[in-house]
Amino acid sequence: MTMSEGALPKEDAVLRVDDLQKSFGGLAATDHATFAVERGTITGLIGPNGAGKSTLFNLISGFYEPDGGTVEVNGTDVTGMEPYQVAEHGLIRTFQTPRKLEGMTVREAMLVGPRKQPGESFLTLFTSPGTVAESESANLAEAERILEDFEIDHLATQPATDISGGQMKLVELARAMLAEPEVLLLDEPVAGVNPTLAKKLKGQIRRLNEQGTTFLLIEHDMEFVMDLADPIVVLDQGHVLTEGTPEGVRNDDRVIDAYLGGGR
Amino acid sequence: MSLLDDPKAAFADLSRPEGWVLGVSVAFVLFLFVAMLTGALGPTYFLFLVGLAGMYALLSFGLNAQWGFTGLINFSVAAFFGIGAYGTALMTASGSPIAGGFSPLVGLAVALVVALALALLIGIPTLRLRADYLAIASLGLAEVVRLIVLNERWLTNGSAGLRGIPGFFDGWPVLSTFPEAMPGLRLEVIPGSPVILETAFWQASLNVLLVLAFAGAAYFVLRRAHRSPWGRVLRTIRSDEDLARALGKNTYSFKMQSFVLGSLIMALAGVFYAHLNLYVGPGDLDPITTFYAWVAVILGGSGSNRGALFGGIVIVTIREGTRFLNDVALPIDPAPLRLLLIGVVIVAVMRYRPQGVLPPQRELIWPSAVGGGGTPETPDSGVRERKGGDDDE
Amino acid sequence: MTVLGYLANGLVFSSIIVLGSIGLSLVYSIADFANFAHGDTMTIGAYSALVTFGAVGGLGGAVLGLPYGFFLALVVGIAVAAVVAVATEKLIYEPLDVDSIGLLITSIGIAFIYRAVIQIRFGSDFTRFDVRPLRPIEPLVPYGVRITLHDVAIFGSAVALVVGLHVLLQYTDLGRKMRAMADNPDLARVSGIRTKRVKLWTWVIGAGLAGAGGVFLGLFNQLAPRMGFNLLLVIFAAVILGGIGSVYGAMAGGFLIGMINQLTPFFSNVVEALPIRPNWLATVIENMITIEYANAIAFVIMVVVLLVRPNGIAGEGAT
Repeated sequence: MTMSEGALPKEDAVLRVDDLQKSFGGLAATDHATFAVERGTITGLIGPNGAGKSTLFNLISGFYEPDGGTVEVNGTDVTGMEPYQVAEHGLIRTFQTPRKLEGMTVREAMLVGPRKQPGESFLTLFTSPGTVAESESANLAEAERILEDFEIDHLATQPATDISGGQMKLVELARAMLAEPEVLLLDEPVAGVNPTLAKKLKGQIRRLNEQGTTFLLIEHDMEFVMDLADPIVVLDQGHVLTEGTPEGVRNDDRVIDAYLGGGR
Repeated sequence: MSLLDDPKAAFADLSRPEGWVLGVSVAFVLFLFVAMLTGALGPTYFLFLVGLAGMYALLSFGLNAQWGFTGLINFSVAAFFGIGAYGTALMTASGSPIAGGFSPLVGLAVALVVALALALLIGIPTLRLRADYLAIASLGLAEVVRLIVLNERWLTNGSAGLRGIPGFFDGWPVLSTFPEAMPGLRLEVIPGSPVILETAFWQASLNVLLVLAFAGAAYFVLRRAHRSPWGRVLRTIRSDEDLARALGKNTYSFKMQSFVLGSLIMALAGVFYAHLNLYVGPGDLDPITTFYAWVAVILGGSGSNRGALFGGIVIVTIREGTRFLNDVALPIDPAPLRLLLIGVVIVAVMRYRPQGVLPPQRELIWPSAVGGGGTPETPDSGVRERKGGDDDE
Repeated sequence: MTVLGYLANGLVFSSIIVLGSIGLSLVYSIADFANFAHGDTMTIGAYSALVTFGAVGGLGGAVLGLPYGFFLALVVGIAVAAVVAVATEKLIYEPLDVDSIGLLITSIGIAFIYRAVIQIRFGSDFTRFDVRPLRPIEPLVPYGVRITLHDVAIFGSAVALVVGLHVLLQYTDLGRKMRAMADNPDLARVSGIRTKRVKLWTWVIGAGLAGAGGVFLGLFNQLAPRMGFNLLLVIFAAVILGGIGSVYGAMAGGFLIGMINQLTPFFSNVVEALPIRPNWLATVIENMITIEYANAIAFVIMVVVLLVRPNGIAGEGAT
């Protein structure tokens, strides 16, 4: 279990991060980070506060431009691409604190999810309204089906601003599924979520994973992440400290040191 | 749409602010109508007011497509209005230093093309900026446009402005001679105060027809766009641009589309204005026009096309009401009074009703997609009751 | 005019811009919104001074061609601008439940209300302070510098105010807190600074300086209800050039923008002398760098700075 940086070459990696670097004002927030997410896994990304997890997420999803290194999604080099282009290659991410979409109902907010909707082209609205209606109907049906799967279909016509933060996290996950991700990055999916909902979220993530979605998730709740994710990548001071099974990571002295020394 | 099937339910369905707006509007129109019949309000002037209201509604529609839909703080409304007016005036006016004498249809086309070019010129650099920087930058660039119009005499005639702009329908078959051809009508609804409809009246009717056509077209386009997936991306950008980007939407492109669409509609307002006023000058690019449009949109409710229409009517009431007040009752210079009213309305709206009088309430999903052609306007529980009701403090 | 002459004019005009830009920058960072009423706060200062000066008259002696009464009027102008700004903050901005964009929009309404009230009271025409116009200072004329004692007074007073502000910022507790808050409002809040009080003082200082700037602008040109609003964008340009939230940046930005503004005719001479090819480009550039476009040049600089260095020329580069 004492794998070093760089880890094993993974045959079927849906996401590959190689020697990624980013510094702010001379401070290295991401320091030669290298790891890969294998298709079909739920990979956890943990590390003490300030380890650079969020920065890494922003680099992978295109919100920050790296100073060096590469990011590959599905074998395509997406380094330096705009976030929307990264998303087009199948990598979708969520946010730690999702903002609520004003003036939309939950199912409306869901409908932002599907990628490449014909109705997103202004001209198509007028040249081919039938196509728009067709895809809109299909998307709406799919959105309602997913809401049902998530057991939150009763929220469908509620204003998105009126549901709780925990419910919003569920909706966000559900919406991300509409984008049909190859790999889904979840930024603290259960932060601020009550235990009952957290359990539900865990079940959903597991179910979706069984159905074929690959996950990479940042989570502070150790119990949650240890129970759900395998393998786990440990980040410390911007670089990958180790990677392994939950048990392996739990018993790794370096990980314990990092947590004890890293501002706890 | 449900008004015809079931008028009673349609009225019961109105939220309280909607009821108020409807009531006040009906009362106001009745008042104007009575004033017209009694001869207190000239019918030609009445139509002029309707035309102006249509023009401000157009400006508000344009701004609504930018600010209301997407959250773009565009403070260069006046520049697009002015470019639209100058675009058509330069092509059609007898006093044009560069062209002149073309058909107003050519003027319309040129105005839209120039506005498109200006929108790209302003949009390409500024749409990447933070919201408040966009506000400052767009106001600055609008001022640059105004200075160019003021100073480049060879192109725009400078401060003298452009005279001799034809009516929009000049040179059209039938319509160009329609006002003269129509007989003078003399209606005497109330004995002793006849209402006379003459050439000027018919001319004004044509103008109203024109603005109704422009505004109707803009409304149709915006309504469809607003409730489409395209509009939904814009509304997502307004609340959370990063979310839209993370979901694979090219937000810069969407912002540009919304900016260009809004700018073209503003230019349309300018085209109408040029053929209504028959004169344009650099004063028409005064930033006050920008803020008239802003007041209309935030008062009506950002993102609401009906609200923009309502706001446009309020602006005309303020504009012409202060003039009327000055003529009849209070000898106060109408210009600062207007400014004061505009200022007070802005502050009051932000203080007491930041969402506007008629906020967009209904769920916006492509109509036929919901329940197989049902009524998307009435979700079972809803945004509308909450947002539109009186429990919104 | 010679280069020296333009530079001298630039120095005087810069003084006014600097006074305006400091307050705008402070309020932008500490109250967290772009205050579009800042220009009209200058107008308030100018007209308050006009009224005071009209009421008290000369009061005997004179300094730098300005009667004592004028300086009293200046103080009143500063005070009224500060009081109005604080009242607006307390009555309007503070109770609002909107984000910084909402405040920005509200401030436009406030700007209109200020201007409308002044215009209703004083009309829309230009007026001047009732001081005798002076001839340029004789010994400087041979150098092509045509400035009056009034201009010297403007420059001198502005320097005094800026030095005073510098002392306040560097050597007082309030000043340190203001700098901390301007630098990083969130950090200042968690570190226990009583932000409300600091915010209030920010309004007092920012609006007071704007009031002084307005009085000097009235002396430099003339007074009109639109004077402040017309200058607002130039001041925004200065603030953005210097980097929002930096007082010293605002001073530098104000100085640069003021100079560029007044040096425009000189630049246009330079451009004419340059061998620019092709000819059409030369024509375009010569056409654009003229006195009519002095403000437009500032606005274009502002947009360029926003694009390439949004933190100002002295701040950290774009990210």
